[in-house]
Amino acid sequence: MLDLGHYIAGPYCGKLMADMGATVIKVEPPDGEPGRHLAPFVHDKPSMESSLPFFYLNSNKKGITINLKTPNGVSLLKDLVKDTDIIIENFSPGTMDKLGLGYETLKTINSSVILVSISNFGQTGPYRDYQATEITEYALGGLMAIFGAYDQPPIKHALNQAQIKAGTNAANAALMATYWKILHETGQHIDVSIQECIAYGLRDTTSNYTYTGAVRRRQPNHSGDLTRIRQVSDGFILPNPNVNTSRGLDWDTVAKFIGSDELIDDRFSTPTARLQNAEELGEILDRSYGHQKKFETFYKAHELRFIYGIILSAEEVLENPQYLHREYFVDVEHPIAGPIKFPGAPFKLSKTPAQFNSTAPTLGQHNREIFRDVLQLTDAQITSMRSAQIL
Amino acid sequence: MTSLGPLHGLRVLEMGQLIAIPSAMKMLADMGAQVIRMESIHRLESYRNASLYENNSEGPFWNRGANFYEQNRNKLGLTLDLSRPEGLGLLKELIQVSDIFAENFTPRVMKSFGIEYQDLIKIRPDLIMVSSTGYGFDGPWANFGATGPATESASGMALMTGYRDDMPIMPEIPYIDYTAAEHTVFAIMSALIHRMSTGEGQFIDISQTETASATVPEALLDFIVNKRIEPRHGNDDPIMAPHGCFSCEGIDKWITIAVKTDEEWITLSKILNLSNHVDDLTKYSTVLDRLTNKDELHALINAITQSWNNHELTHILQQNGIAAGSVMESPDLLFDKHLKERSFYEIVEHHPSTGMPPLPYASRPWKFSDTPAVSPKAAPIMGQDNELILKDLLGKTDEEFQQLLDTQIIGFEPTQGTPVRAPDPDEQLRQGRMQRYDSDFKEKIRDFYNSPK
Repeated sequence: MLDLGHYIAGPYCGKLMADMGATVIKVEPPDGEPGRHLAPFVHDKPSMESSLPFFYLNSNKKGITINLKTPNGVSLLKDLVKDTDIIIENFSPGTMDKLGLGYETLKTINSSVILVSISNFGQTGPYRDYQATEITEYALGGLMAIFGAYDQPPIKHALNQAQIKAGTNAANAALMATYWKILHETGQHIDVSIQECIAYGLRDTTSNYTYTGAVRRRQPNHSGDLTRIRQVSDGFILPNPNVNTSRGLDWDTVAKFIGSDELIDDRFSTPTARLQNAEELGEILDRSYGHQKKFETFYKAHELRFIYGIILSAEEVLENPQYLHREYFVDVEHPIAGPIKFPGAPFKLSKTPAQFNSTAPTLGQHNREIFRDVLQLTDAQITSMRSAQIL
Repeated sequence: MTSLGPLHGLRVLEMGQLIAIPSAMKMLADMGAQVIRMESIHRLESYRNASLYENNSEGPFWNRGANFYEQNRNKLGLTLDLSRPEGLGLLKELIQVSDIFAENFTPRVMKSFGIEYQDLIKIRPDLIMVSSTGYGFDGPWANFGATGPATESASGMALMTGYRDDMPIMPEIPYIDYTAAEHTVFAIMSALIHRMSTGEGQFIDISQTETASATVPEALLDFIVNKRIEPRHGNDDPIMAPHGCFSCEGIDKWITIAVKTDEEWITLSKILNLSNHVDDLTKYSTVLDRLTNKDELHALINAITQSWNNHELTHILQQNGIAAGSVMESPDLLFDKHLKERSFYEIVEHHPSTGMPPLPYASRPWKFSDTPAVSPKAAPIMGQDNELILKDLLGKTDEEFQQLLDTQIIGFEPTQGTPVRAPDPDEQLRQGRMQRYDSDFKEKIRDFYNSPK
C-alpha cells in the first residue's frame, strides 16, 4: 500500500492496514508532512520526530520522501504504483489530477490498483472545495445539533474524531475493494467524505423528521434524570439503574442501591412522580452519589447487572484491570524517542493478531531500502536525487 | 444500473442487537453480502418498538421503528427462538452455510446457548466469528453490559469532552457504537482476506471501549509520556482562534467558525465588519494574541453573528476560504443541495403492510466507482424471509415449516413487548425535547426528493 496521506484521516487508514500486516509505504514531501507538527510532543519538545499523534498514526509504516511537485518525483511514485494494491490519499479534491496522478492515469500504470480518496466533503458536489476542520465537520455532519447542554452552544468531542472516523471508513472501503480485486482482478476509485462519515451515524435523528416531522435538538437534561452523569467523590459515574423494565428491579431496591432512604417515597417511586419532583430528586441523587467512590459503585452495580458506566481519565485507562488483562497497551521502540507504551489494536484476531514492530518512521528512514532494494536505484542516483531535492 | 456490490457471494449470519453489530453488518449488506439477521419473537428488540412512524402504536408497530430501519437495511429477516433445541439446531444448520457469524451479546449468553467459537468451528471449520462487547470477550469486565455512553466513558474520551469548568458531556446518540461498528468491519475484512489466501477462519474479539480509546491517542500518549491530563476545553482549540460555535439569527441557530491563519482572520474581520464594533483590533493581530484574548474575541463575534442567517454566513465565509459550517438540523441535512447531488440520502421503499411511504435514509460515507452499493432494500419486517431461508436455503418441507410456526420457534409477530409512544408533539415542545416540528414534513420530503437534482 502507498500511503500519500497527511495529517490524520489518511494516515489512520494506513496505520490500520500496517498494524494488520500490510506493507505500507508512507510517502512524505522532503520537509515532512504536516502531521509531524501535531501536538502533544515527547516531553513537550516540538520537533519533526517527537509528535505523539504522529507516532501513533503511522505505526508499522515504512517512510520515504518524494517531492511530488517535480516530474522526477512523480515518475518515481509511478514506479512504485506498478507493484501496489492500494493507494490512499487525503489531498484536496483535484490535487491528484494536478500532480498527474489521477485515477485514470494510475490505472494505465496498474490496471487493478485501488485508489482511496478521503476529502472533507467528497470529490463531487457544490461543497467539494469548502474548507473544513473538525468543528465544521461536526456541525455540517449534523452531530453538533444533538450534542451539548440545552441552554448552551452545541459542542463537539475533544480531539479529532471526524478525521479518525474517515480513516477507518476508508480502510473498510479499501478492503472491500480488495476483496473484489482478489476475485476479479479489477481495481477502482473510492470517494470517502468526512462529512458523510459523521452524517451516516446519527441513529434516528433524521428519521425523527422523516417519520414525524420532529426536529431534534440538545435535550434538557433535567436534574432528576436517573441516567445523567453524576459527580462522585473521586470523579464521575454514569448511572443506569434498570428500574421498571422487563428485567428491572422495583423502585425500593433501586433506591437502596443508590444509597438513600429518602428516595423510598411515593414522590419518587414512579416515572411520573420522578418527573414531577425532579428538582428534589436531583438534589438527593447528587448527595447520595457525591460521597461514593466510582469503582465501588461501578462494581456493585454490575453485580446487580445495572449497566453503569465509569468515567475514566487517561491515567485510569492505563491502569484499568480490564485493559491490563487484555494487554491493550503494547511496548514499541521509537528510533529517537526510545521505548514507549502505545495504544494497541482495538480488535483481537485469534489467528492473525495485530503486530507492533515500530512507531512512525523518521523522515526518510526507509529511503535507501525502498529506492535501492525495491526500485533498484544506485547509491549515486539516490544521492543526486537528494541534492536535486527530489527525495 | 444494478450492482451486486464487491461482497457479492458472502453470507453472514447476524445475531445482533441495537447498533454495534447491526450497523457493521449493514455496511457489509450494503456492499453486497447476504446478511441473515436473526431475532426471537419472544424477545422484542427495543429498536423495533420505539421511534415509530407517525408515532403510531396501533397494529404491527414492530415493523415501523425508525431505529430498526436505520440499522438493518439490505438484510434478510429470520425469526428463531434459540432458547429451544429446534431453534439452536437451525442456527447450526445456518452456520454450516455461512462465512461469518456476528453477535453482540455478553459472553455469558453465548456460553449458555453453547454457541461459542469452539462449538461452531466443529460444524464450520473456516468460520469467521465476531463478538462485539462493551469491554471485550475476556477479562474481569467481560460480562459487564454496556451502552454507547458507558463505553465512551471508560475509554478516556468522555472525561475530555465538555464545557470548560463543567461536567463531562456526551452526544445524544450512542456514538461509540458506530466507532465499534467501523472497527468491526475492518477486522472482519482483514480476516476474510486472510481466509482467501489460507482457507483459515478465526475468532474476532472487539471491545467497544478499546475502539473508542483507539480514537484518542493524543490523550493517552500525552499521559503516558508527559503525565498530563488535559481539562475540558469546550469548543476551544489549542492552536486556532477564533474557533467555536456562534449564535445566529433565529431560535437555536448556530454557526461554527475555525480560523487557521492571520490572512483568514483579516478576511473574517472584514466580512463581519469587526472594526465597526471594536476600537482596537490590534490586540487580535497574531494567533497568539487571539488565543490569549479568545473569550473576549468569541463574545465579540457572537454579538455580530446573531444578526446573520447561519447558512448565508457559512456560504460567504466559505467563498472566502474560511472553514465555517452551520450546525445542521435534520431538515437542513435532508434538504441540502450538496448531499442531494451526492445522493447521500437514498430513497428506500417499505413493505406494503407497514403503510409507510418511501423515505430517505442516510446511506454510507463512501462511493465505489466500479462496484457501487446494491439498490437499497428496507430492513425486513418481522419474519419476512422465514420461508426463503428455511425452505429454499435449508430445504425444510412445508410440514416442517408449519411445525416450526406452530411451536413458535419462528413466527411473524412478537409474543411480547409493548410499543413506546412518544408524547404528542406539543408536549415534546413544551418539555424542550424537540426544537420544532413541521406538520407538512411529508410534502416537503416528497417535493424535494421527487424534483430533479
